[in-house]
Amino acid sequence: MAPDLILILPEILLAVFAMAALLVGAFGGGDIRARPILWGVAAFMALVGLLVGLNPPAVGTAFGGAFTLDGFARFAKAGILLGAAILLLMSEDFLRRRGLLRFEFPVLIALATLGMMVMVSASDLMTLYMGIELQALALYVVAALDRDSPRSTEAGLKYFVLGALSSGLLLYGASLVYGYAGTTLFSGIVAAAAAGEGPQLGLLLGLVLMLTGLAFKVSAVPFHMWTPDVYEGAPTPVTAFFATVPKLAALALFARLVHEAFGAIAADWRQIVAFLSVASMFLGAVAAIGQTDIKRLMAYSSISHMGFALMGLAAGTEFGVQALLIYAAIYVVMNIGTFAFILSMEKDGEPVSEIASLNMYSAIAPGRALALMVLLFSLAGVPPLVGFFGKLYVIRAAVQADMVWLAVAAVIASVIAAFYYLRIVYLMYFGAPREGLDGGMAPAQWIALSASALAMVLGVINLFGIEGLAAAAAATLAGA
Amino acid sequence: MEALLAVTIGVLVAGAVYLMLARNVLRFIFGLVLISNAANLVIFTAGRLTPGEPPLIPEGADAPVGTVANALPQALVLTAIVIGFGLFAFALVLMFRAYTSLGTLQSDEMRVAEPRDDGL
Amino acid sequence: MTDEPNAAPAAPGLAGLLPVALSAVLFAGFLALVPQVADGGAIRLAWDWVPTLGIALSFLVDGLSLTFALLISGIGALVFLYSWAYLGRKPEFGRYTLFLTGFMLSMLGLVLADNLIALFVFWELTTITSYLLIGFNHEQADARRAALQALFVTGAGALAMLAGFILLGFTAGSFELSVILAQGEALRAHALYLPILILILAGTFTKSAQFPFHFWLPNAMAAPTPVSAFLHSATMVKAGVYLMARLHPALSGTEIWMWSLTIFGAITAVFASVVALRQTDLKQALAYTTLMALGTLTLFLGQESGYAMTAFATFLIVHSLYKAALFLVVGNIDYATGTRDARILGGLARTMPVTAFAAALAAMSMAGLPPFLGFIGKELKYAGALAVASEPLVVAGAILIASALMLAVAGVVAIRPFWLPPGGAFPRQPRPAPWPMLTGPVILALLGATFGIYPDTLERALVAPTVAALLGSAEEAKPLVLWAGVNLPLILSVATIVLGVTIYAFKLRLRAALARAEAALPSFDAGWDRFLKGLNRVAVWQTRVIQPGVLRFYIFVTFVTVLIGAAGTMLARGALPALPSLSTVTWDGLALSLLIVAGAAIAAVTGSRIAAMAALGVVGIAVAMIFIVFGAPDVAITQLLVETLVVVLVAVALLRLPALDPPGTRDRRPRDAVLAGAVGLTVTLTLLAVIERPLDRSLTDYFETASWVEAFGRNIVNVILVDFRALDTFGEIAVVVIAALSAYALLRTTDKRRPE
Repeated sequence: MAPDLILILPEILLAVFAMAALLVGAFGGGDIRARPILWGVAAFMALVGLLVGLNPPAVGTAFGGAFTLDGFARFAKAGILLGAAILLLMSEDFLRRRGLLRFEFPVLIALATLGMMVMVSASDLMTLYMGIELQALALYVVAALDRDSPRSTEAGLKYFVLGALSSGLLLYGASLVYGYAGTTLFSGIVAAAAAGEGPQLGLLLGLVLMLTGLAFKVSAVPFHMWTPDVYEGAPTPVTAFFATVPKLAALALFARLVHEAFGAIAADWRQIVAFLSVASMFLGAVAAIGQTDIKRLMAYSSISHMGFALMGLAAGTEFGVQALLIYAAIYVVMNIGTFAFILSMEKDGEPVSEIASLNMYSAIAPGRALALMVLLFSLAGVPPLVGFFGKLYVIRAAVQADMVWLAVAAVIASVIAAFYYLRIVYLMYFGAPREGLDGGMAPAQWIALSASALAMVLGVINLFGIEGLAAAAAATLAGA
Repeated sequence: MEALLAVTIGVLVAGAVYLMLARNVLRFIFGLVLISNAANLVIFTAGRLTPGEPPLIPEGADAPVGTVANALPQALVLTAIVIGFGLFAFALVLMFRAYTSLGTLQSDEMRVAEPRDDGL
Repeated sequence: MTDEPNAAPAAPGLAGLLPVALSAVLFAGFLALVPQVADGGAIRLAWDWVPTLGIALSFLVDGLSLTFALLISGIGALVFLYSWAYLGRKPEFGRYTLFLTGFMLSMLGLVLADNLIALFVFWELTTITSYLLIGFNHEQADARRAALQALFVTGAGALAMLAGFILLGFTAGSFELSVILAQGEALRAHALYLPILILILAGTFTKSAQFPFHFWLPNAMAAPTPVSAFLHSATMVKAGVYLMARLHPALSGTEIWMWSLTIFGAITAVFASVVALRQTDLKQALAYTTLMALGTLTLFLGQESGYAMTAFATFLIVHSLYKAALFLVVGNIDYATGTRDARILGGLARTMPVTAFAAALAAMSMAGLPPFLGFIGKELKYAGALAVASEPLVVAGAILIASALMLAVAGVVAIRPFWLPPGGAFPRQPRPAPWPMLTGPVILALLGATFGIYPDTLERALVAPTVAALLGSAEEAKPLVLWAGVNLPLILSVATIVLGVTIYAFKLRLRAALARAEAALPSFDAGWDRFLKGLNRVAVWQTRVIQPGVLRFYIFVTFVTVLIGAAGTMLARGALPALPSLSTVTWDGLALSLLIVAGAAIAAVTGSRIAAMAALGVVGIAVAMIFIVFGAPDVAITQLLVETLVVVLVAVALLRLPALDPPGTRDRRPRDAVLAGAVGLTVTLTLLAVIERPLDRSLTDYFETASWVEAFGRNIVNVILVDFRALDTFGEIAVVVIAALSAYALLRTTDKRRPE
């Protein structure tokens, strides 16, 4: 068992740390300790993230093949852990000022992160399900974190109901796949699928249902409906978290599942993923136009971005996986910066999320407005910013995989989507002057905002070498 | 026998879906309980049914004697039951919170996120 | 309508002359490259950028880009000088200069870039800087609206164009223009040719204000006059034309290319020149003639012949020279009198003789009279039109009408304000313009005359190299001559002059008729407003329809989608599961099944909480019994335990929660029932599909043999859980912990409410 434990050492460390933090919180004074706990959890996650990303003690499979730590998992885990750590730090100020800084928040985030780490390493249906539930359960709670806000409760309830539904569909699909293959291991499923003859109806139906469940998690149309309501209703730090790290985890899980378990019937899932991709890109782009709330807008934005990311997956190639990873990583960085800004939006001490409050923001805070403008341009995919290269990668993956129609659809969708980002820029610089935001910005938020904006600009030089990392990670998954 | 259970599961799921579509969120929870049961049965059925012997290895033997029930789905069902219970317990608490905070369990009234529109 | 020039002539700060020096130096630099480029030596500079995606930062100087660069920097220098006197004492002059310099550099980048992505970046920079310049008088509502409209139309076009670039880049395997241009054959045959063409033309047509995207350009005249002279006549609007010319070797030569450019170009040219005549604001009249020029240039780019390309290159230069000059002349008139209304202006030749002189020269070039360059340009246009492969007479006719109208408009701008008596009182006493405002128009007008008399200089230096860039060989260029003998183009020229003079003579009556016609026709400008409103309405509508915030609706959609997905899969495979055999059904199994069915049915329809709870309990216990019957006692025990807990928890919760249905209502939902039945049926069918195939039990067999030998456990289920699948157990524990923590987090009351 010892090698197995080394492989899941990061998970164990995080679990133990989360439990310890929980005990400290529960018996060590409760919310008085919330702040050190938050910092501690963030620092610990960053540390583990660096450990996994830079120098893991071992790679391989554990628990009879149910758990895989490969380059792909390392890439995703490092992103998840670092992203979660940054988000925690960014949120501290917001939570404290709204009286939401309770010790269970960082603990729940740590447990959700734990679930996500299991998700990206899962190479077995049951492990996958478990990781998803672990993550989801913690997220249901944080969505309803603000007990004094009916919106937050409603968001939590909606998220739970639809999330539970999607988990149920996923579990049902997994059961069917198991019933077909006789095993829950991805390696066994792919072998059974390759050996199978005839219509393979059970396998396909299982696949459809599992993809449905996963589509929920990545907010792909038509399973996106929870996204705008929950993003708007949940406290902003929670929205920021939802929009970033779990998306990365779900995309990684999605990629591993379809490549490792269903690699033998790629033609079938590529069609489904391509459909999800197109529908998400377009709906996200069109629906965002009429939004007046920036959190809702970011919900549609993330729907659209997930569509683009899935396009890399629909290609069904190694380059497609590389494009997906690059896209997802860029997406997370952009969203961290944007949400750092949204977290700081306030007027008279109350959080604000109306887009109209950004009117002539450039006159109030030129530096922040500039950083936000860079991020919005990058989200829109305007060259030469880094966001553009992300789009270029996934489009190229589709073209290479002879899915030209998908590439054409993507470029058209990106044209539509560009408008609502540019509209905010327009408001900030040329809007009608009126009473706008008046809040300051916590140092952590300011650093996150400016660092991510800077990354969008400096990254154009060589994308910080992420290309190579993603290529290596993709090779371990789809290379064979 | 698997076929009969397949039909039974179908009915169970139909009942659960009907409950989940109800206006009252409490009914959703009932639906959740039913669908958890259905899910457990699905895993169990997917592993094929073997009437009789539980998967035990008698003293002195290295492997089970004769035909025993498929052990793997049983392990999976156990996991699913526990997770399902966790989910359920949480759901109940959440309902409770929702009721105290929103004052209703009718999901149609939970539309703080979207402006009410009488035209709908 | 008029912008506010300086109140009094005065010498503003000398720092304002820095951009003049900058553009002059650039102009001189480009001029120095002329001999090398004219000898066929294109210059290319490149740095690697994102090598994996084949993107580099590279620049190309050939005949085409050099011609544009010279126009941009040369006219730029004159416009900067003009602006210095025109706006130099305004407090915003610093900002203005910054924007205008930024614009000029972006424009140079655009025409010199050899990489599609870099080209796009510069293209967008020109869009943004031009937006800032159009909206420069931002206290005026129409200036703000015009700026936003220009930004929207050209911005949307540009994004479509970027999409086209990306497809083009991937199709050609490179984003380098020099590589793309070399593979015209392959590109035209490619399946993506059509989407690429449409997307790129969307960008060029919007930027160059081709019909039906023309409406933003006249509105953009809200910009200060030197800006209009620079951006909206000589440079920015020609960016679209430039790009079509640049890509001509790669994309031209197909029916679709030829027809779309010819048709849209011809419509724009004729439409614009008719509308130009109807304008009374001199600046508006010039704006519409600019549209006419852009249409003509587009029309020629649709062709392949050496005549058409020579006509293109010549007319490009001709138009830039005389149009910039005339815009600056109008600026001087505005400055002198405070109005641009053609109906009032008159008799200014005495007050401003230099301006009148420049106006006359430029207008004669515009009218296409000998010996001006405009005459040669017009001759070439006819020659080019007659060389058009199909329908040469229609094309020539369009050009004839447009040219005649241009002649009339030239008269309106150059004769009426200077030589005829005024039609009313001016807002202010006319005053002469200072020298920096005269330099530009005079130099530009003189150039038009000089090149007309000595056309071969221009031909060798710029026209032939441009044609070489378009057609691959300078041999294709046709000579620029004033007198080519009596031929068809000359006859057409004479016809043009006769027709033009006639139109000028009857212009007042025509103008009234046109005004009536225009009022009767739908306005594109108003259509634009309607489009914006409609777009917003669609977005609001979609929110209401597909995002109503009603949870049940979301669940409903989810189930419907799943149903479609599952049914679709079965249909696509053309397979339904085989009818199962019921021979193995046992009596106890049947009884338990019936119990489950009954429990589920009661739970679903009852309005009583107690009955629902009891029904749920029955289902749970029956499921546990099934586990017992089929050899899973461990599972059964857990199930019973959990089921008991569930019932207890529900019972406790129900004490605090309201009734299931509001008083006096019952829960009857036939639509939901149909969906639920369909989902249930699908589940049954999918399950049957799975179990019709024998199960691969090799993994189970492995556990059975390994359980004791490797893990020393006799209960195989337990061994699997704690040993082979320990991870699941680890996860289970974590899930239960989270559930407990969640309950705590949600239910705990705290006194530490938000600090008020």
